[in-house]
Amino acid sequence: MQNRPSGFSNPWLQLALSVACVLVSEFLLKRGAAEVANTGSAWSWTGLNGLASPLVWWAILLIIASFVSWLYVLRYIPITIAFPLSRVVDILVPLGCWIFLGELISPLRWCGIALVVIGLALVAKPIAQFEERL
Amino acid sequence: MSFLAFFFIVVSLLSFVAAQLILKRAMEATTTTGFRNTQFVSKITSGILLMTISFFLTLGLLQRFDLSYLYPFQGLSVIFITLVAAAVLKEKLSMRLTVGALLISVGIVLVSLS
Repeated sequence: MQNRPSGFSNPWLQLALSVACVLVSEFLLKRGAAEVANTGSAWSWTGLNGLASPLVWWAILLIIASFVSWLYVLRYIPITIAFPLSRVVDILVPLGCWIFLGELISPLRWCGIALVVIGLALVAKPIAQFEERL
Repeated sequence: MSFLAFFFIVVSLLSFVAAQLILKRAMEATTTTGFRNTQFVSKITSGILLMTISFFLTLGLLQRFDLSYLYPFQGLSVIFITLVAAAVLKEKLSMRLTVGALLISVGIVLVSLS
């Protein structure tokens, strides 16, 4: 890891921003894709008909934003650390559904969430030690 | 699940993993050579192209399957990228990182199965 800028250009902050944009875009994509679903057409395998939904366009904007942050993250953080950490979004989605939409989380799903949290802690711990030494 | 669906899921996953590795290479190079060289431009372009292919294939799949059904495959990308980055990009891979990535992958699969 090279000398990293601080403040808004801190790569860890950019990683968090990238995750937040992906989180919102996942919901928009599913809503948008469902809105214009036309599974009868063979062309719809390409997903291009999804572009008819404005929600998909909002999602694309957020994906571009998250992509720019992500490229910045890649410049400074090894992908073996950055990528697993970025998947925190995979537990934020069901947790978001639980907190904001009142959806239930099954015991098996809670186990999965727990495993991801332990995995994230394992990946993140060497970084915490690395940052302390600076 | 039909063969066609499985095929598109695999192509989408592989193009996503390849894109991430190419983008990492491109961005790493910028720390020494800057942004204005053909190497960087060609890598970033092919990375974005692969990401775009993966994106539209996913959009096509989302029209047919629930997000919760497609998620386990996204989960696999964690352990995939970690192992391939260690092999191809020669990134240091400790036991702790490997176990961490594996737990995250398994966790994501469990989250989406239930």
